[in-house]
Amino acid sequence: MMDRMRGNDEERLDALFRAYRNACQTPEVSANFMPALWAKIESRQRFTFSFRRMANAMATAAVALSIALSVYMAIPRSSPNYYSQTYIEALAEANPLDAPEIAGPVALDLSDPGR
Amino acid sequence: MLVDFDLIKRAQAGDSAAFNEIVLAYRKRIMGTITRLIARPEDVEDVAQEVFLRLYFSLDQLRTAEVFEPWLHRLTTNAAYDYLRKQRRRQEFRMSDLSEQQVVMADASAGGKVEQEEQYNKRIREAVDALLSSVSEADRTLLVMKEVEGFSLKDLEKIYRVNENALKVRLFRARQRVLKAFGQQNQGGTRNKPGE
Repeated sequence: MMDRMRGNDEERLDALFRAYRNACQTPEVSANFMPALWAKIESRQRFTFSFRRMANAMATAAVALSIALSVYMAIPRSSPNYYSQTYIEALAEANPLDAPEIAGPVALDLSDPGR
Repeated sequence: MLVDFDLIKRAQAGDSAAFNEIVLAYRKRIMGTITRLIARPEDVEDVAQEVFLRLYFSLDQLRTAEVFEPWLHRLTTNAAYDYLRKQRRRQEFRMSDLSEQQVVMADASAGGKVEQEEQYNKRIREAVDALLSSVSEADRTLLVMKEVEGFSLKDLEKIYRVNENALKVRLFRARQRVLKAFGQQNQGGTRNKPGE
């Protein structure tokens, strides 16, 4: 019974699809079809062209920036020995051995009897 | 094939007149397919223009003549699919309305014969459109290409570039879903032609 109903539905659905095909008549093409199509093509081309131009400009700017940075990094600094010193050397230079507060003898005052 | 490959080659080389000829040769067929895929006659021309727009910008990728038509059909189904996705069916047009519409269809007795015919066709389109909304847009386009357009599985294999067995499974499932919706809603419905 269910199979027969299902088979019946299958046939009716097929008939509906056939009727649908007949009911969907192709609409008439308007006179504006081709002009509108070309307008869309040109609009898309313009968009693509300006996008490419923008992308090219950005790529050029990126290359120029890279070159500028490379040149900047390649230029020698004004104090070349600044980084050639080790930490110990720099420390020694800042605190020479003859500096009195470091190198002088410790003075002990033993005259105070209260101590 | 409605055009020869030389014409396509000329269009590929940037010949606008050749491209126009291709459009004119296929326009009617493509618009017919789109009409059945989207069921909205008022938007068919826009979708067809989108198809030819995509054709224009991808024509240079075409290498052999024999793939041209399947490829054009693929552009058509893709454009229709994109349209259907954008125009997600309005919620008020639910399956529950179908029976009522079918009753109205039979009652379309007012007016002249042409008007009745147009009313009938409109109802049929709406009924099938509602039924097809029970499946995804991708399944809908596939089902229409097979059941309404009459493409064979071999043709669809070329169009979709999908294995035939996978297509069969997908079609079967989509049809079952549509059939279920049809069975549920069609108990009291009628699809009589006006005057019958």
